[in-house]
Amino acid sequence: MTAVSDTMDDTHPPPSRPPQAGEDKVGGIRLTEQQLRARRARSIAIALALGAFVVVIFLVTLVRLGSNVLTRPM
Amino acid sequence: MSVTLTRTEPSIAGVGDYVALMKPRVMSLVVFTALVGLLIAPGHVHPVIAFTALLCIAVGAGAAGALNMWYDADIDARMARTAGRPIPQGRVTPGEAAGFGMTLAVFATVTLALLVNVIAAALLAFTIAFYVVVYTMWLKRSTPQNIVIGGAAGALPPVIGWAAATGGVAIEPILLFLIIFFWTPPHFWALSLYRTEDYARAGIPMLPVVAGEAATRRQIVLYTLILAPLGVVPWLLGYAGALYGIAAIATGAGMIAMALRLRGEGSGHDSRHGASRQMFAFSILYLFLLFAVLLVDRMSGGLAALAAGRFPA
Repeated sequence: MTAVSDTMDDTHPPPSRPPQAGEDKVGGIRLTEQQLRARRARSIAIALALGAFVVVIFLVTLVRLGSNVLTRPM
Repeated sequence: MSVTLTRTEPSIAGVGDYVALMKPRVMSLVVFTALVGLLIAPGHVHPVIAFTALLCIAVGAGAAGALNMWYDADIDARMARTAGRPIPQGRVTPGEAAGFGMTLAVFATVTLALLVNVIAAALLAFTIAFYVVVYTMWLKRSTPQNIVIGGAAGALPPVIGWAAATGGVAIEPILLFLIIFFWTPPHFWALSLYRTEDYARAGIPMLPVVAGEAATRRQIVLYTLILAPLGVVPWLLGYAGALYGIAAIATGAGMIAMALRLRGEGSGHDSRHGASRQMFAFSILYLFLLFAVLLVDRMSGGLAALAAGRFPA
Protein backbone atom coordinates (compact mmCIF):
# COMPACT_ATOMS: atom_id res chain seq x y z
CA MET A 1 0.00 0.00 0.00
CA THR A 2 1.43 3.37 -0.93
CA ALA A 3 1.72 6.31 1.37
CA VAL A 4 -0.91 8.20 -0.58
CA SER A 5 -3.51 5.47 -0.27
CA ASP A 6 -2.55 5.15 3.40
CA THR A 7 -3.51 8.74 4.11
CA MET A 8 -6.74 8.32 2.17
CA ASP A 9 -7.50 5.19 4.15
CA ASP A 10 -8.04 6.81 7.52
CA THR A 11 -11.73 6.05 7.53
CA HIS A 12 -10.84 2.36 8.12
CA PRO A 13 -11.66 1.06 11.59
CA PRO A 14 -8.67 0.63 13.94
CA PRO A 15 -7.28 -2.90 14.48
CA SER A 16 -9.74 -4.90 16.56
CA ARG A 17 -7.01 -6.38 18.81
CA PRO A 18 -6.08 -4.05 21.70
CA PRO A 19 -2.36 -3.19 21.96
CA GLN A 20 -0.40 -5.80 23.91
CA ALA A 21 2.14 -5.01 26.60
CA GLY A 22 5.32 -3.66 25.02
CA GLU A 23 3.51 -2.60 21.82
CA ASP A 24 2.25 0.79 20.81
CA LYS A 25 -0.98 1.39 18.88
CA VAL A 26 0.38 0.30 15.50
CA GLY A 27 2.00 -2.92 16.75
CA GLY A 28 5.58 -1.58 17.16
CA ILE A 29 7.76 -1.92 20.24
CA ARG A 30 7.17 0.43 23.12
CA LEU A 31 10.32 0.95 25.18
CA THR A 32 10.22 0.77 28.93
CA GLU A 33 11.45 3.69 30.97
CA GLN A 34 14.70 1.81 31.70
CA GLN A 35 15.28 0.95 28.03
CA LEU A 36 14.70 4.55 27.00
CA ARG A 37 17.14 5.83 29.62
CA ALA A 38 19.77 3.28 28.60
CA ARG A 39 19.39 4.11 24.91
CA ARG A 40 19.62 7.82 25.57
CA ALA A 41 22.79 7.35 27.64
CA ARG A 42 24.35 5.17 24.92
CA SER A 43 23.43 7.71 22.24
CA ILE A 44 25.04 10.53 24.20
CA ALA A 45 28.18 8.44 24.76
CA ILE A 46 28.46 7.66 21.04
CA ALA A 47 27.96 11.34 20.19
CA LEU A 48 30.69 12.36 22.63
CA ALA A 49 33.05 9.70 21.27
CA LEU A 50 32.47 10.82 17.68
CA GLY A 51 32.91 14.45 18.70
CA ALA A 52 36.19 13.60 20.44
CA PHE A 53 37.34 11.71 17.33
CA VAL A 54 36.65 14.76 15.17
CA VAL A 55 38.58 16.99 17.59
CA VAL A 56 41.56 14.60 17.59
CA ILE A 57 41.67 14.49 13.80
CA PHE A 58 41.41 18.29 13.66
CA LEU A 59 44.19 18.86 16.21
CA VAL A 60 46.54 16.33 14.62
CA THR A 61 45.91 17.94 11.24
CA LEU A 62 46.94 21.31 12.67
CA VAL A 63 50.04 19.82 14.32
CA ARG A 64 51.10 17.82 11.25
CA LEU A 65 50.56 20.57 8.71
CA GLY A 66 51.46 23.52 10.91
CA SER A 67 52.31 26.60 8.89
CA ASN A 68 52.44 24.49 5.73
CA VAL A 69 48.69 25.00 5.55
CA LEU A 70 49.51 28.40 4.07
CA THR A 71 52.30 27.32 1.71
CA ARG A 72 50.69 24.46 -0.17
CA PRO A 73 50.20 24.97 -3.94
CA MET A 74 46.71 26.20 -4.68
CA MET B 1 31.93 -20.71 23.03
CA SER B 2 28.69 -22.20 24.16
CA VAL B 3 26.75 -19.22 25.41
CA THR B 4 23.85 -18.57 23.07
CA LEU B 5 22.24 -15.54 24.59
CA THR B 6 19.68 -14.19 22.22
CA ARG B 7 17.63 -11.21 23.19
CA THR B 8 14.90 -9.74 21.11
CA GLU B 9 13.89 -6.88 23.42
CA PRO B 10 15.71 -3.56 23.14
CA SER B 11 19.00 -3.40 25.02
CA ILE B 12 19.13 -2.20 28.61
CA ALA B 13 22.93 -1.94 28.52
CA GLY B 14 24.19 1.32 29.95
CA VAL B 15 27.41 3.15 29.13
CA GLY B 16 29.00 1.54 32.18
CA ASP B 17 28.47 -1.93 30.70
CA TYR B 18 30.41 -0.98 27.59
CA VAL B 19 33.12 0.59 29.73
CA ALA B 20 33.31 -2.69 31.69
CA LEU B 21 33.75 -4.60 28.40
CA MET B 22 36.98 -2.64 27.87
CA LYS B 23 38.51 -3.92 31.16
CA PRO B 24 39.42 -0.45 32.48
CA ARG B 25 41.83 -1.71 35.14
CA VAL B 26 43.88 -3.69 32.61
CA MET B 27 43.66 -0.71 30.29
CA SER B 28 45.12 1.63 32.93
CA LEU B 29 48.26 -0.52 33.29
CA VAL B 30 48.54 -0.75 29.48
CA VAL B 31 48.28 3.02 29.12
CA PHE B 32 50.81 3.61 31.89
CA THR B 33 53.46 1.23 30.49
CA ALA B 34 52.89 2.59 26.97
CA LEU B 35 53.29 6.13 28.33
CA VAL B 36 56.63 5.20 29.88
CA GLY B 37 57.78 3.60 26.60
CA LEU B 38 56.75 6.74 24.73
CA LEU B 39 58.33 9.24 27.12
CA ILE B 40 61.70 7.52 27.58
CA ALA B 41 62.18 7.27 23.81
CA PRO B 42 64.78 9.64 22.35
CA GLY B 43 63.71 12.72 20.47
CA HIS B 44 60.71 14.97 20.87
CA VAL B 45 57.10 13.99 20.32
CA HIS B 46 54.47 16.68 20.03
CA PRO B 47 52.07 16.38 23.00
CA VAL B 48 49.04 16.10 20.70
CA ILE B 49 50.65 13.22 18.79
CA ALA B 50 51.65 11.55 22.07
CA PHE B 51 48.12 11.91 23.41
CA THR B 52 46.66 10.50 20.19
CA ALA B 53 49.02 7.52 20.32
CA LEU B 54 48.07 6.76 23.93
CA LEU B 55 44.37 7.13 23.12
CA CYS B 56 44.70 4.63 20.25
CA ILE B 57 46.65 2.20 22.45
CA ALA B 58 44.00 2.53 25.20
CA VAL B 59 41.14 1.95 22.78
CA GLY B 60 43.01 -0.97 21.20
CA ALA B 61 43.44 -2.52 24.65
CA GLY B 62 39.74 -1.97 25.31
CA ALA B 63 38.90 -3.66 22.01
CA ALA B 64 40.99 -6.68 22.98
CA GLY B 65 39.18 -6.80 26.34
CA ALA B 66 35.74 -6.70 24.70
CA LEU B 67 36.67 -9.43 22.20
CA ASN B 68 38.04 -11.53 25.08
CA MET B 69 34.76 -11.15 26.97
CA TRP B 70 32.81 -12.05 23.84
CA TYR B 71 34.72 -15.29 23.34
CA ASP B 72 34.99 -16.22 27.01
CA ALA B 73 31.38 -15.49 28.03
CA ASP B 74 30.72 -19.17 28.74
CA ILE B 75 33.62 -19.61 31.16
CA ASP B 76 33.18 -16.13 32.64
CA ALA B 77 29.67 -17.18 33.69
CA ARG B 78 31.10 -20.09 35.69
CA MET B 79 33.71 -18.14 37.66
CA ALA B 80 32.87 -16.00 40.70
CA ARG B 81 35.49 -13.41 39.69
CA THR B 82 33.96 -12.84 36.25
CA ALA B 83 30.27 -13.81 36.63
CA GLY B 84 29.34 -10.16 37.09
CA ARG B 85 30.65 -9.13 33.65
CA PRO B 86 28.10 -7.62 31.24
CA ILE B 87 27.63 -10.68 29.00
CA PRO B 88 27.13 -13.30 31.76
CA GLN B 89 24.74 -10.83 33.37
CA GLY B 90 22.72 -10.71 30.14
CA ARG B 91 23.04 -6.93 29.82
CA VAL B 92 25.09 -7.10 26.61
CA THR B 93 24.73 -9.88 24.03
CA PRO B 94 27.85 -11.68 22.73
CA GLY B 95 27.15 -10.23 19.29
CA GLU B 96 27.03 -6.69 20.63
CA ALA B 97 30.34 -7.20 22.44
CA ALA B 98 31.95 -8.69 19.33
CA GLY B 99 30.75 -5.79 17.17
CA PHE B 100 31.88 -3.24 19.75
CA GLY B 101 35.32 -4.87 20.05
CA MET B 102 35.90 -5.21 16.31
CA THR B 103 34.81 -1.62 15.67
CA LEU B 104 37.16 -0.28 18.33
CA ALA B 105 40.04 -2.49 17.13
CA VAL B 106 39.73 -1.26 13.54
CA PHE B 107 39.30 2.39 14.57
CA ALA B 108 42.26 2.30 16.97
CA THR B 109 44.61 0.60 14.50
CA VAL B 110 43.69 2.70 11.47
CA THR B 111 43.79 5.95 13.47
CA LEU B 112 47.21 5.10 14.92
CA ALA B 113 48.51 4.28 11.42
CA LEU B 114 47.16 7.47 9.85
CA LEU B 115 47.89 9.94 12.65
CA VAL B 116 51.06 8.55 14.26
CA ASN B 117 52.93 5.88 12.30
CA VAL B 118 52.49 2.50 10.64
CA ILE B 119 55.03 0.60 12.78
CA ALA B 120 53.18 1.46 16.00
CA ALA B 121 49.86 0.58 14.34
CA ALA B 122 51.20 -2.77 13.12
CA LEU B 123 52.42 -3.56 16.66
CA LEU B 124 49.03 -2.59 18.11
CA ALA B 125 47.19 -4.79 15.59
CA PHE B 126 49.56 -7.66 16.37
CA THR B 127 49.01 -7.20 20.11
CA ILE B 128 45.21 -7.25 19.78
CA ALA B 129 45.31 -10.29 17.48
CA PHE B 130 47.77 -12.10 19.76
CA TYR B 131 45.62 -11.47 22.85
CA VAL B 132 42.35 -12.44 21.20
CA VAL B 133 43.38 -15.27 18.86
CA VAL B 134 46.53 -16.80 20.36
CA TYR B 135 45.78 -16.28 24.06
CA THR B 136 41.97 -16.21 24.37
CA MET B 137 40.92 -18.58 21.59
CA TRP B 138 43.82 -20.98 21.57
CA LEU B 139 46.06 -21.14 24.65
CA LYS B 140 43.77 -20.17 27.53
CA ARG B 141 41.71 -23.37 27.39
CA SER B 142 44.42 -25.74 26.23
CA THR B 143 47.64 -25.33 28.24
CA PRO B 144 48.91 -24.20 31.67
CA GLN B 145 51.47 -22.16 29.72
CA ASN B 146 48.53 -19.96 28.58
CA ILE B 147 49.43 -16.88 30.59
CA VAL B 148 53.19 -17.35 30.05
CA ILE B 149 52.95 -17.12 26.25
CA GLY B 150 49.84 -14.93 26.27
CA GLY B 151 51.73 -12.51 28.51
CA ALA B 152 53.53 -11.29 25.40
CA ALA B 153 50.40 -9.32 24.52
CA GLY B 154 50.43 -7.51 27.86
CA ALA B 155 54.17 -6.87 27.56
CA LEU B 156 54.01 -5.12 24.19
CA PRO B 157 52.49 -1.70 25.11
CA PRO B 158 55.83 -0.04 26.06
CA VAL B 159 57.20 -1.24 22.71
CA ILE B 160 54.17 0.31 20.95
CA GLY B 161 54.72 3.54 22.89
CA TRP B 162 58.40 3.62 21.90
CA ALA B 163 57.50 2.88 18.27
CA ALA B 164 54.91 5.68 18.33
CA ALA B 165 57.66 8.11 19.37
CA THR B 166 60.50 6.88 17.17
CA GLY B 167 58.96 4.88 14.32
CA GLY B 168 61.09 1.88 15.28
CA VAL B 169 62.12 -0.52 18.04
CA ALA B 170 65.32 -0.65 20.13
CA ILE B 171 66.91 -2.60 23.00
CA GLU B 172 65.33 -0.43 25.73
CA PRO B 173 61.67 -1.16 24.94
CA ILE B 174 62.58 -4.82 24.42
CA LEU B 175 63.99 -4.83 27.97
CA LEU B 176 60.71 -3.37 29.22
CA PHE B 177 58.89 -6.05 27.22
CA LEU B 178 60.97 -8.77 28.91
CA ILE B 179 60.35 -7.33 32.38
CA ILE B 180 56.56 -7.43 31.91
CA PHE B 181 56.81 -10.82 30.18
CA PHE B 182 58.55 -12.42 33.18
CA TRP B 183 56.36 -10.48 35.62
CA THR B 184 53.13 -11.92 34.20
CA PRO B 185 53.45 -15.57 35.38
CA PRO B 186 54.13 -14.80 39.09
CA HIS B 187 51.38 -12.17 38.97
CA PHE B 188 48.69 -14.45 37.48
CA TRP B 189 49.74 -17.62 39.26
CA ALA B 190 49.49 -15.80 42.60
CA LEU B 191 45.92 -14.91 41.61
CA SER B 192 45.14 -18.42 40.43
CA LEU B 193 46.36 -19.87 43.74
CA TYR B 194 43.42 -18.29 45.56
CA ARG B 195 41.03 -18.80 42.64
CA THR B 196 41.90 -22.45 41.96
CA GLU B 197 38.34 -23.75 42.50
CA ASP B 198 37.03 -21.08 40.15
CA TYR B 199 39.41 -22.03 37.35
CA ALA B 200 38.81 -25.77 37.91
CA ARG B 201 35.03 -25.28 37.70
CA ALA B 202 35.40 -23.34 34.46
CA GLY B 203 37.73 -26.03 33.06
CA ILE B 204 40.65 -23.64 32.51
CA PRO B 205 43.98 -25.49 32.82
CA MET B 206 45.69 -22.95 35.08
CA LEU B 207 48.91 -24.23 36.63
CA PRO B 208 47.51 -24.90 40.16
CA VAL B 209 44.61 -26.85 38.61
CA VAL B 210 46.83 -29.00 36.38
CA ALA B 211 50.16 -29.29 38.21
CA GLY B 212 49.09 -28.61 41.79
CA GLU B 213 49.77 -25.80 44.22
CA ALA B 214 53.28 -26.87 45.24
CA ALA B 215 54.46 -26.86 41.62
CA THR B 216 52.84 -23.47 41.09
CA ARG B 217 54.61 -21.94 44.07
CA ARG B 218 57.92 -23.36 42.82
CA GLN B 219 57.29 -21.85 39.37
CA ILE B 220 56.44 -18.48 40.95
CA VAL B 221 59.80 -18.51 42.74
CA LEU B 222 61.64 -19.46 39.53
CA TYR B 223 60.05 -16.71 37.46
CA THR B 224 60.57 -14.16 40.24
CA LEU B 225 64.25 -15.12 40.38
CA ILE B 226 64.49 -14.28 36.67
CA LEU B 227 62.33 -11.17 36.98
CA ALA B 228 64.15 -9.41 39.83
CA PRO B 229 67.63 -9.34 38.17
CA LEU B 230 66.01 -8.48 34.83
CA GLY B 231 64.45 -5.45 36.49
CA VAL B 232 67.94 -4.17 37.34
CA VAL B 233 69.35 -4.64 33.81
CA PRO B 234 68.23 -1.21 32.45
CA TRP B 235 70.49 0.37 35.12
CA LEU B 236 73.38 -2.08 34.50
CA LEU B 237 73.30 -1.31 30.78
CA GLY B 238 73.29 2.41 31.48
CA TYR B 239 69.75 3.09 30.27
CA ALA B 240 68.70 4.33 33.70
CA GLY B 241 70.37 6.07 36.62
CA ALA B 242 71.18 5.05 40.20
CA LEU B 243 67.71 6.06 41.42
CA TYR B 244 66.20 3.41 39.18
CA GLY B 245 68.89 0.89 40.09
CA ILE B 246 68.23 1.24 43.82
CA ALA B 247 64.46 1.05 43.34
CA ALA B 248 64.77 -2.04 41.10
CA ILE B 249 67.01 -3.83 43.61
CA ALA B 250 64.76 -2.96 46.58
CA THR B 251 61.45 -3.86 44.94
CA GLY B 252 62.97 -6.92 43.28
CA ALA B 253 64.17 -8.13 46.69
CA GLY B 254 60.63 -7.55 47.94
CA MET B 255 59.22 -9.70 45.13
CA ILE B 256 61.67 -12.51 45.90
CA ALA B 257 60.85 -12.31 49.62
CA MET B 258 57.13 -12.49 48.81
CA ALA B 259 57.63 -15.48 46.51
CA LEU B 260 59.75 -17.35 49.07
CA ARG B 261 57.20 -16.64 51.80
CA LEU B 262 54.45 -17.92 49.51
CA ARG B 263 56.44 -21.06 48.86
CA GLY B 264 57.35 -21.66 52.50
CA GLU B 265 53.82 -21.28 53.75
CA GLY B 266 51.89 -24.43 54.68
CA SER B 267 48.72 -25.56 52.99
CA GLY B 268 46.38 -24.16 55.65
CA HIS B 269 43.66 -22.44 53.66
CA ASP B 270 43.62 -19.01 55.27
CA SER B 271 47.36 -18.49 55.53
CA ARG B 272 47.95 -19.71 51.97
CA HIS B 273 45.39 -17.40 50.54
CA GLY B 274 46.81 -14.52 52.54
CA ALA B 275 50.29 -14.97 51.06
CA SER B 276 49.07 -15.39 47.47
CA ARG B 277 46.77 -12.37 47.75
CA GLN B 278 49.67 -10.31 49.06
CA MET B 279 51.94 -11.55 46.27
CA PHE B 280 49.30 -10.62 43.70
CA ALA B 281 48.81 -7.14 45.15
CA PHE B 282 52.54 -6.53 45.58
CA SER B 283 53.27 -7.66 42.01
CA ILE B 284 51.05 -4.84 40.71
CA LEU B 285 52.79 -2.34 42.98
CA TYR B 286 56.20 -3.69 41.85
CA LEU B 287 55.53 -3.15 38.16
CA PHE B 288 53.98 0.25 38.76
CA LEU B 289 56.90 1.41 40.92
CA LEU B 290 59.52 0.08 38.51
CA PHE B 291 58.04 1.94 35.55
CA ALA B 292 57.23 5.08 37.55
CA VAL B 293 60.79 5.33 38.88
CA LEU B 294 62.21 4.67 35.41
CA LEU B 295 60.09 7.52 34.10
CA VAL B 296 61.13 9.91 36.89
CA ASP B 297 64.77 8.86 36.50
CA ARG B 298 64.76 9.45 32.74
CA MET B 299 62.78 12.66 32.94
CA SER B 300 65.07 14.14 35.60
CA GLY B 301 68.12 13.00 33.61
CA GLY B 302 66.70 14.66 30.53
CA LEU B 303 66.00 17.86 32.45
CA ALA B 304 69.51 17.86 33.90
CA ALA B 305 70.95 17.42 30.41
CA LEU B 306 68.81 20.27 29.12
CA ALA B 307 69.89 22.47 32.02
CA ALA B 308 73.53 21.69 31.25
CA GLY B 309 72.96 22.73 27.65
CA ARG B 310 73.14 19.18 26.31
CA PHE B 311 70.21 17.85 24.39
CA PRO B 312 69.05 14.23 24.28
CA ALA B 313 69.85 12.48 21.02
